[in-house]
Amino acid sequence: MSGGTASPQPFAPTAGLLARRRRERLARGVFLAMTVLMILPLAGILGYLVVRAWPSLSWSFLVEAPARGMREGGIWPALVGTIDLVVISLAVAAPIGVLAAIYLNEYARDNWVHRVVNLAVITLAGVPSIVHALFGLGAFVYAARLGYSILSASLTLALMTLPVIIASTREALASVPRSFREACWNVGATRWQTIRAVVLPNSIGGILTGIILQVSRAAGETAPIMFTGAVFYKAVRGGTLLPYRLDEQCMALSMHLYTLATQVPNVRPSIPYATAVVLLAVVLLVNAAAITLRLRVRTRPKW
Amino acid sequence: MRIPGTRTVIEPSFWRSALAAGMAAMICAGCGGQSAPEGGTTLQIKGSDTMVNVAQAWAEAYHQVRPGVRVEVSGGGSGVGIAALLRGTVDIAASSRDLKPEEAEQARRYTGREVRSFVVGHDALAVYVHASNPLEEIAFEQLADMFAEGGRIERWSQLGVTIPGGGDKIIRVSRQSSSGTYEFFREHVLGRRDFRLGSRDMNGSKEVVELVAATPAAIGYSGMGYHEPGRVKMLRVSPGAGRPAVAPTMETAMSGEYPIARSLLLLTLGEPEGEIRAFLDWVRSPTGQTIVRECGYVPLTPDERAALTAGR
Repeated sequence: MSGGTASPQPFAPTAGLLARRRRERLARGVFLAMTVLMILPLAGILGYLVVRAWPSLSWSFLVEAPARGMREGGIWPALVGTIDLVVISLAVAAPIGVLAAIYLNEYARDNWVHRVVNLAVITLAGVPSIVHALFGLGAFVYAARLGYSILSASLTLALMTLPVIIASTREALASVPRSFREACWNVGATRWQTIRAVVLPNSIGGILTGIILQVSRAAGETAPIMFTGAVFYKAVRGGTLLPYRLDEQCMALSMHLYTLATQVPNVRPSIPYATAVVLLAVVLLVNAAAITLRLRVRTRPKW
Repeated sequence: MRIPGTRTVIEPSFWRSALAAGMAAMICAGCGGQSAPEGGTTLQIKGSDTMVNVAQAWAEAYHQVRPGVRVEVSGGGSGVGIAALLRGTVDIAASSRDLKPEEAEQARRYTGREVRSFVVGHDALAVYVHASNPLEEIAFEQLADMFAEGGRIERWSQLGVTIPGGGDKIIRVSRQSSSGTYEFFREHVLGRRDFRLGSRDMNGSKEVVELVAATPAAIGYSGMGYHEPGRVKMLRVSPGAGRPAVAPTMETAMSGEYPIARSLLLLTLGEPEGEIRAFLDWVRSPTGQTIVRECGYVPLTPDERAALTAGR
């Protein structure tokens, strides 16, 4: 349109097209801004934590026991405690959750029982962790006579993660198209054969992701373990691989962070931050493991 | 079995290795149960938040003395520890207040045993204000007028104090109701009157000091061991108008001059035996008492020590 020629070019952009392009640029800009905005807090938190924690971060901080009233030394007993709790709770919750989800998705008929179970799973997934903690205290510590112990705490964590594992596994199973199953049944395969050969291979990535995401949740929770088996302090030598028995209580990273911040006077400020960095690193490592695992077993369905 | 259109990536070996990994995890968890390298006995101490730090220091030192015994320390408040003791889920309850008659009654009714209590040290309850607060001393009546139901003191100007950072309204910092410190303050300073609503109730002794350190117009009570010099100030306390105000120190708390000192107790269900007995004896020995002092609490007085050895 420049030059003011009388004959308009046939492909010159019309006013409507320009307006659409403007809107497109605007939308793109807004979405991009939101994405960047989402990264900012993460980078901010990480950066702040690492900077504040720097003076205390070292290998010996990882493998030593706390000393001098937690004002010196490291966090080994808490680190091992967290790993113990997470491993045992997952060893309980993952098999039960995955198998239950397979039943619900592959076998159960759509009747009222099924709907009630579904409702129960969803409700249970929404129960706040402090309520799980109280239930764990009543059920495992007192009624089942497990006492304050790693076992009680792990079972409470398992109970907390179970419904989410069921829900995420069901999602993964449901993403396998029904036509796959039908094809398999039509050549005479039983339901179990179908599940093993078709459904699981096509959904394993999603199932594993769901389970491993629960690791970060279990590692970070404080309330359920504080009520059932995590202690303020336990005398343990640093560097021992399996310092706890199952019927003992243990220290845990999340709890340790809480007590450092609320109970210990005149603690060096970098120590709580260093504890937070380690907790975060554990969670990030597990998530990274989840991503690697998923990439390795990923099925690439072409439908 | 390959389904056209999909690529089945999971090899049988994957399932085998997954199974093996699962088994290994189980075995690991299991052998954690049998062959813990440190093995031995565990002693569970639960209760007073005031005492977690000294209990932690005991646990740390006792582990050096007797590596076979591992002491677990958890907090929650004196009331929580006593409740757990009565349920038989811990070996020792730590309490910064005396056992209530109804708790002793419960113990008899549910377990058929008496609760035995052992004095293991003392704690002076300090009244903290912000380091910049010009106030130097305070009397029980004034504290009661601030903290108790029906009290009339709400502003610092009523005490003739101007806060340098501004803010005249008194920010009262208190403790949660399961705390032994809370009970003790109510009983001995407020004359058993209830706390007035509107205080900030903190969950730990350290949190009280932290909040006071960050709030120029605040006043709060917490153990002497939580003092953070330069950030907060401990007031001299007078047990009644006209009587001299005494600063909280080791000496004044031991001599009984300082008016809000209390005993720190370890409680057991029935007469302690074996490792529990040994631990309690060690705690009251010179080594254990040195730790009490290092943590900012007041050790047993020479009289109490003498009574202890005479009783044995």
